[in-house]
Amino acid sequence: MALRAQFENSNEVGCFARLTNAYCLVAVGGSEAFYSLFEAELADHIPVIHASIAGCRIVGRLCVGNKNGLLVPNTTTDQELQHIRNSLPDAVAVQRLEERLSALGNCVACNDYAALVHPDLDRETEEIVADVLQVETFRQTLAGEALVGSYCYFTNQGGLIHPMSRIEDLDELSGLLQVPLVAGTVNRGSEVIGAGVVANDWIGYCGFNTTSTELSVMESIFKLRSWDGAQRDGDQDDLRTSLIDTLA
Amino acid sequence: MVVANLKAIQRVPEAADLLDIVLSQTQRKTPTVVHKGYPIQRIRAFYMRKVRYAQSTFHERLSRILSDFPVVDDVHPFYGDLINVLYDRDHYKLALGQVHRARSLMDAVARDYVRLLKYADSLYRAKSLKRAALGRMGTMAKRLAPCLAYLEQVRQHMARLPSIDPNTRTLLVAGAPNVGKSSFLNSVTRADVDVQPYAFTTQSLFVGHMDYHYLRWQVIDTPGVLDRELEQRNTIEMQAITALAHLRAAVLFFVDPSEQCGYPMAQQLRLFHSLRPLFGDKPLLLVCNKVDLGWEHTLDAETWRAVEAAAADTGAELMKMSATGDADRESVYAVRNRACERLLEVRVSQRMTQRRSDAVLNRLHVAMPPQTRPPVIPESVWAARQAQREAGAAAAAVPPPRLTEKQREEQMGGAGVYSMDWRKLYDLRESEWRYDIMPEVVDGKNLADYVDADILERLDALERDEEARLAALEAREGMETEEGEEEQRRARAIVRAATERRILRQRRAARERSQNPSVPPARLRSRSVSSRGPARRHPPGVGVPRSLQTASRPPTAAVALRQVHGVRDMKQAAKARRLFEQSRRKAFASREHRQGEWDRFIAVKKPKHLYAGKMSLGTRHHR
Repeated sequence: MALRAQFENSNEVGCFARLTNAYCLVAVGGSEAFYSLFEAELADHIPVIHASIAGCRIVGRLCVGNKNGLLVPNTTTDQELQHIRNSLPDAVAVQRLEERLSALGNCVACNDYAALVHPDLDRETEEIVADVLQVETFRQTLAGEALVGSYCYFTNQGGLIHPMSRIEDLDELSGLLQVPLVAGTVNRGSEVIGAGVVANDWIGYCGFNTTSTELSVMESIFKLRSWDGAQRDGDQDDLRTSLIDTLA
Repeated sequence: MVVANLKAIQRVPEAADLLDIVLSQTQRKTPTVVHKGYPIQRIRAFYMRKVRYAQSTFHERLSRILSDFPVVDDVHPFYGDLINVLYDRDHYKLALGQVHRARSLMDAVARDYVRLLKYADSLYRAKSLKRAALGRMGTMAKRLAPCLAYLEQVRQHMARLPSIDPNTRTLLVAGAPNVGKSSFLNSVTRADVDVQPYAFTTQSLFVGHMDYHYLRWQVIDTPGVLDRELEQRNTIEMQAITALAHLRAAVLFFVDPSEQCGYPMAQQLRLFHSLRPLFGDKPLLLVCNKVDLGWEHTLDAETWRAVEAAAADTGAELMKMSATGDADRESVYAVRNRACERLLEVRVSQRMTQRRSDAVLNRLHVAMPPQTRPPVIPESVWAARQAQREAGAAAAAVPPPRLTEKQREEQMGGAGVYSMDWRKLYDLRESEWRYDIMPEVVDGKNLADYVDADILERLDALERDEEARLAALEAREGMETEEGEEEQRRARAIVRAATERRILRQRRAARERSQNPSVPPARLRSRSVSSRGPARRHPPGVGVPRSLQTASRPPTAAVALRQVHGVRDMKQAAKARRLFEQSRRKAFASREHRQGEWDRFIAVKKPKHLYAGKMSLGTRHHR
């Protein structure tokens, strides 16, 4: 199931939330509307908590995590860190990182098994990412963009990548990460996938502007459709010729 | 390729109308009052303006005609040839050429007369020159009469032409007259073309549109073509030929084996062969129509073999169909679908070879890894899904059992009034710890800096280690009873010293290892946690929450780190430090340590203008 959401008139839900298979961090807003979108679907299964990092609401861009851990930048205050530690289960390791590139969400993209990291990230930081999140790390750029966390989003089930990625790059990345990948957009053609989408293995959220086509691509690649039991996989092959003829 | 918009051409006025329009506009839009008493400059300017205005109006009108009508050489060859067939290319170009020439002649006339007007020495002369200029332009406009009449007719005809897009997906229906082409168009689209039981019912191209495979297709019905030389073909047939020649479409060539159309099968096949060069490499279907008339049983084998041979020769696909009668709808759709599929195949393979198709293909490509790893979905999610699936539609009606924070907010006074209790979600070992008050600063020190998650465990380990060593020592002593008491004490002291050194080393190592050093400055660091004693570590009434107990952050050198923070490496940090020291030294040295730019500085203690002078009313603006 993929839902459209908006944080105080902003479609960049990926900036204001960090969703993993074990917990969900949501930014503090003027009202609880955005929080409740997550709470309603997720609170029965995983902790959904309010968080701020360095006093900012852009938690999704500043921190990175998966079911094993959460990495926060060095700008996080002691009180914020304590709140996060108190709220998350013991199994999730929370670690503050001394890293110059402090928007970790933009510099690291990960699922529970693998992570893409910014090519300029410190070697020690990369090691900590690998240890705390228990992932394999790969230094990569996407379609010439170094901010891997901004331009892609992937879960254990699949991933969405910058629309200008070439086919060879897609195949290579898919082999590295071992998830199906597709190039696409969110929020009516925005290439900043990481900002427009948050998803885990069973639910996804995207900006209000997202078109139904983008939403259906997202649902298929993240495999969020299994609610109604039947997967509709044949569609893409059917449409392929028509799409090539219309668009190429 | 210029796409001519044939529907948007504006009406071409008749010559007389054009003249009226221009003259009345000149009259309306230029000044009308002039007196011979005026200075001659003014009179000249008055008439020059009239001449110029008339010329520019003519120019504008004729230019619009020239720009509206498509230039035969610029439009798509299909439209170029269609114009040739329908309106005679030479005639058309000649008409436009004459308009163009008239326009430039008018420009020249106006230029000449304006020049002459500069020499006019009276109102009468100036007026005569103006009359002559407008008269000559009017004559030229009148001479255009036949051209304009022809162009108007062409315009009207063009506006009624079907809007055929030469580049889109197209099915082209062709064949001898009366073989059921229009019936096919009617059955696959909603075009509603006139169908009559006589030849040449369709006298021009007709277009219908349909949807297939999520795409828009145009189906073009052409007039019937007779089997004769190209030169002998009439305009109606030539339209079909033009369409066949220029449109990259799937061609459906219809034949009527029942021969009810009035043309024997042999003749129809001859036509098929004669049109063969026009088919080129387009997808071609040879459609045998009117199956419902039962020709399958009556047709002699010889003819059928000829049909099959014709199809095999051209690589055409042979299909049987019945365009009329609702019973046989499937055959019509089979033909349609087959034609569409073949055209789509061709088009897609063409697109794939183009360079720019990459931009689209990468977005249609799903990269599948050789193997995947399992998703991590909690059991509760599976259970919820199962429950929802079982409940089915009924579940939708039941309101969600959970009271969300948004609902609670609305109940408690709305956004801005309600503030959510974050602590209620804390996941601590003891739930009553949630609301414990946790001091942030104790005795001027940040408590978080002193938290070491496994200090107790490490202490335990050390103590156990020490006990074991002491026990071992005592055991050895027991055996060596002869040794003096002095020696025993010395041995114990050595062991203790070694243990203490190890503790210190471990502590330092932990400090250096740490990723998260935020410790008080160096002068406070000398006082260690243990030296402050247990009473200070746990201020009365304050429990240390679990979060801080588990936080694995031994105190380390934050100050040092703050200095290297933001620089590339230690070398650069050292350099920055050196430069800073240098600048500070310089600043102090020059002012003999007395005053720096950071000190408060008042240049003049008592400015004279504030203290001198009289204080009576009205002498000063200030004080």
